[in-house]
Amino acid sequence: MARSATSPAGGRNLLLGAWERLKSWEGLLLGVLVVIVIINSLQAPAYLSIRNQTNLFQLFIEKIIVALIMTFILINGEIDLSVASVMGLAASTLGRLYELGVPIEAAFLIGLAVGIACGLLNGFMIAYAGLPSLVVTLAGMIGYRGLAYILLEDRFIGNYPEWFSRLGQQPLIGPFPLALVIFFVLLVGAIIVLQYSAFGRYVYVIGNSREVARYSGVKVRRVKMALFIVSGLVAALAGLLYAARLGSVRGSVAEGFELDIITMVLMGGVNMYGGAGSLYGVLLSILIILNLRNGMSLINLTGHVQTGVIGVLLILSVLAPNLARNIQATLNRRRMRHLAGTLSEAQESP
Amino acid sequence: MHMRHISKSFGATQALDDVSLSIYPGEVHALIGENGAGKSTLIKVMTGIHQPDQGEILLDGRPLQIRNSAAAQDHGIAAIYQEPVIFPDLNVAENIFISHRDRGAIVRWGRMHKDAATILAKLDVKLDVRMPARGLTLAAQQAVEIAKAISLKVRVLVMDEPTSSLSAHEVAQLFKLISTLRNQGVAILFIGHRLEEVLEIADRVTILRDGKWISSALRSQVTTEQVIQDMVGRQIEDFFAKSQAERGDLLMSVRGLSKENVFSDINFDVYRGEVLCFAGLIGARRTDVGLALFGVEPADAGHITFAGKEVKIHSLEQALKLGIAYATEDRHRFGLAILMSVATNITLPTLRRYLTALGLVRQSDEYATAEEYRQRLSIHAPSVKVEVGRLSGGNQQKVMLSKWLNAGPKLLILDEPTRGIDVPTKAEVHHMINALAAQGLGIILISSDLPEVLAMSDRVLVMREGRQMGLFDRKAATQEKIMTAAMGQNRPAMEAQP
Amino acid sequence: MSALRRYFRPEQVRELVLVFLIIVLALFFGTQIRDYYTGRTFIRISTSVAIIVVVAMGETLVVLTRNIDISVGSIVGFTAYFVGTQLARHNDIAPLVAVLMAIGIGAAMGLLNGILVAYGKVPSILVTLGTLAIYRGILVNYSGAKTVVANSLPQWVINLSSMNIFSIGELDFRLLVGLALAVVVFFQLMLTYLPYGRRLYAIGCNPDAARVAGFPSQRIVLVAFVLCGALCGLAGFMYLARFSNITVVAAQGMEMSVLAAVVVGGVSIFGGSGTVIGALLGATMIGLLEQSLIRWLVISEFWRRALLGLLILLAVEGDAAIMNRLRKLWARSELQMAPKQENQ
Repeated sequence: MARSATSPAGGRNLLLGAWERLKSWEGLLLGVLVVIVIINSLQAPAYLSIRNQTNLFQLFIEKIIVALIMTFILINGEIDLSVASVMGLAASTLGRLYELGVPIEAAFLIGLAVGIACGLLNGFMIAYAGLPSLVVTLAGMIGYRGLAYILLEDRFIGNYPEWFSRLGQQPLIGPFPLALVIFFVLLVGAIIVLQYSAFGRYVYVIGNSREVARYSGVKVRRVKMALFIVSGLVAALAGLLYAARLGSVRGSVAEGFELDIITMVLMGGVNMYGGAGSLYGVLLSILIILNLRNGMSLINLTGHVQTGVIGVLLILSVLAPNLARNIQATLNRRRMRHLAGTLSEAQESP
Repeated sequence: MHMRHISKSFGATQALDDVSLSIYPGEVHALIGENGAGKSTLIKVMTGIHQPDQGEILLDGRPLQIRNSAAAQDHGIAAIYQEPVIFPDLNVAENIFISHRDRGAIVRWGRMHKDAATILAKLDVKLDVRMPARGLTLAAQQAVEIAKAISLKVRVLVMDEPTSSLSAHEVAQLFKLISTLRNQGVAILFIGHRLEEVLEIADRVTILRDGKWISSALRSQVTTEQVIQDMVGRQIEDFFAKSQAERGDLLMSVRGLSKENVFSDINFDVYRGEVLCFAGLIGARRTDVGLALFGVEPADAGHITFAGKEVKIHSLEQALKLGIAYATEDRHRFGLAILMSVATNITLPTLRRYLTALGLVRQSDEYATAEEYRQRLSIHAPSVKVEVGRLSGGNQQKVMLSKWLNAGPKLLILDEPTRGIDVPTKAEVHHMINALAAQGLGIILISSDLPEVLAMSDRVLVMREGRQMGLFDRKAATQEKIMTAAMGQNRPAMEAQP
Repeated sequence: MSALRRYFRPEQVRELVLVFLIIVLALFFGTQIRDYYTGRTFIRISTSVAIIVVVAMGETLVVLTRNIDISVGSIVGFTAYFVGTQLARHNDIAPLVAVLMAIGIGAAMGLLNGILVAYGKVPSILVTLGTLAIYRGILVNYSGAKTVVANSLPQWVINLSSMNIFSIGELDFRLLVGLALAVVVFFQLMLTYLPYGRRLYAIGCNPDAARVAGFPSQRIVLVAFVLCGALCGLAGFMYLARFSNITVVAAQGMEMSVLAAVVVGGVSIFGGSGTVIGALLGATMIGLLEQSLIRWLVISEFWRRALLGLLILLAVEGDAAIMNRLRKLWARSELQMAPKQENQ
């Protein structure tokens, strides 16, 4: 009786379960990571050396950088499918302008500006025109890629100034190249903004409930707009770094990257519908994907097969919490029914 | 159809307590009660959306299990809700026949259009059956729903406040439809809140109050006064009562506040230290007035003077700056971010106060504030870092109040602050309202709970469908008077003098 | 005027505009490309459209339910390759068995998509983004980097693409085109005359109402995905017949042409509205553009994709604005008519 007096007991259990699941989710990720690393180390003895791990990071650095901002967007309850195409478009812009004789510095800046423009369009359509981000950024994903193809058709643009090519490859501080340094700076910045700043607070609250945020005086549209603009900018930056690392650009640069990026974030325990998740989980899931991809290369699986495995992870990372919730709900319902049964018996007996 | 000893509870709230009801063919049975009297729950039990905890339903004398809405449909029970449930991209005829499972494996459009036209003609409704339902008026959509019910050979038709969004002319047409149905031998359960209308159409009247059956009688045997008596007949519990506070200066005066198609010509004054209650039934648009004052859905006409200055409120930021706060009735949708901590929720509207020069949140200050409110309002939470979703409803309500008190408002609009919370917490909330008024806040209390309105208010403004029906002084107000005004029986001439 | 409004809904206005655009495009390319109006051009365009149309039919079913399937390219590629290798290995497989095999494999892949979306409650975009990669990954793994080549296939497969069913003057209608037309007619009939078809529209335009009406929404969505997969399987077979040489990247990126056909054809990405005819017109326009552009500018594959991308971007983002405005216009005129009705 005492239990049923606190009416939201069911809801409380559910939330408690959610919390515990999140905790155990990160625990699970850590476990998976350890297993993968051990297997890989057995395959390749020098696997855990700093040099190899740095290389590993470097191979996926662009995706990881974009995953940081994608975390914000998913926590906010939206999605940005267009990031990979923005990366490609920014890189292609740089290539095309350089081909036309524009200095590489200016081309770099214009590339960033193009990213911001894409973000503006996405953000406007989502925050002010009220279209779902899934639709807007799906169209963006296809449309921006189209623009990239228009710019370069099927040409490769390479032969950049040496300093630009080195940007992507040469160690800058210790063994770390520029992209890795940028990643660490962005990571620290992202953690501070998301966990400790007012903006981060608003990102979570809006993801929780847009209406609650609005009724509390939060400028919801402005926050969403800002997120998509930053997303465009970061994606463009990542695309340009990618171009620097590859040393050449073509229209298909970074194609299909959105799969890895979104998987990194969703597998990190960020709720598909917003409001919950943390960068620590995402960091763990990034490490898993890096090591997994590397491990798959070690056993000679092709890129397509690797991508297929990532696809499985993507589906699982949304499916698993859904299934857990269903099971929990069924258990709760059964418990409630049991409780109601005993209650009515108790009422009938006197 | 008989419903016998139906009981249903949700958690600790007993929504229906031993309710019995009989509906006969060819009769319009009106179900009347205040908000929260259990009308909607009863309908949901009838249409299979909820299962009763106890009691049985008999149709033609045979007991019946209604597992879901499809089963209800098979037994000839259909419901029409306030908001019609239609498919906007399908045409009128299809909307009528979409639920049919006996029209063969192939859709015969010609026959369907003809059948639809026949049904609509029988109802004396003129609609093009080939027109998509998108863009039909609400009244037309309702006609489509009724036609759908008829096409399903409905025997028991439940109508849940079907008139609330209709104009007078449309209501007249609807009633003509209902009469037609009655003459065809359909049993109709009609739920309404405009008493004059309900009594006009009903053959039999049942009154519910607080989930309990109060009375059933033939229409010819009851009077309006009796009905109102039965609806409200509650004693004012004496443990909550507004202590007499000194009324301070004029805080806000509102003149001719209007919003197209929502409310019009609302006039009132609020003084510091005063509790002004907004009373009325569902659809009275009280919340909309509150939202207009809070700048969420701004009004389009009218004058507002706040603290001596003429102001226009067209955004929420502006309202907050003026010192107006609004605590919503729907905590989960608009009030609290339930996955976030107590402290986060309390400081959300005022987060700017807790920022360092770098824009980071000073969490220690934040926790201190939250802790202060936790003690002041005795919020039962293990700590202020706990997720709000893990607190009970009453404590969530207190968190929401803390959130707005922390904004330091001059005018606090409370929308149904005690709905769905237990009695002791309710008393605490009432004490708090008293204390706040004593501190000189002006308070607008939107409440559907009549005893609460009478106990807490200094003055009562009664609304009905977006119009102000009266403004009563505390001494002059009685449950009957308020209910009479809210049901639109007559427009009381008496206006309280401020 | 009211009669005009009654029969010309905003959706039909769009279809007329599409027909007009297609004619304009055909005339334009006629002035630009020498020997444009020949039987060969017709065959090339119509066969290309045929494959897109079949997949677009499946996509339409899915999009009507407020979902999306972007794994179609991988399913087409997989079935084309798989059936190709089977035929190369066993030259004596009967044609009907081969077609059924393709349809069955496609349907199984659609089934997995559908289960995850309808019962696993995973958003369709994520499911199919995942299966897009998974199906292609399985194919690459299965293929061992080999290619299906024309001379390993039985002769009837190779002949299939040049088989005529009838000719009008110089215009030859290939068997594949006839097959596509049959599919279009079948689904047009299904969507208009079968209760299942109508329910697809119903749950797309108002899922809540569908629940109140007691529709088995999950099953309806599942079936839509299975049908979509089956049609992709059929298209995979057609792809095999048309190209004969199949690599592991066959039909990669086809989801773009298909999505473009569907959204340009006016199937609302928000579910509930759109017609088979619209999708057919959309596919025709896309096919016409793709094939003509290649001959006009001798432009690369990349321009084709660029154009598709921009078309989708325009169709989705511009459409939301334009159609809403049209609908409002229509609704307003109905409101104005309402008082008149009351007086009757």
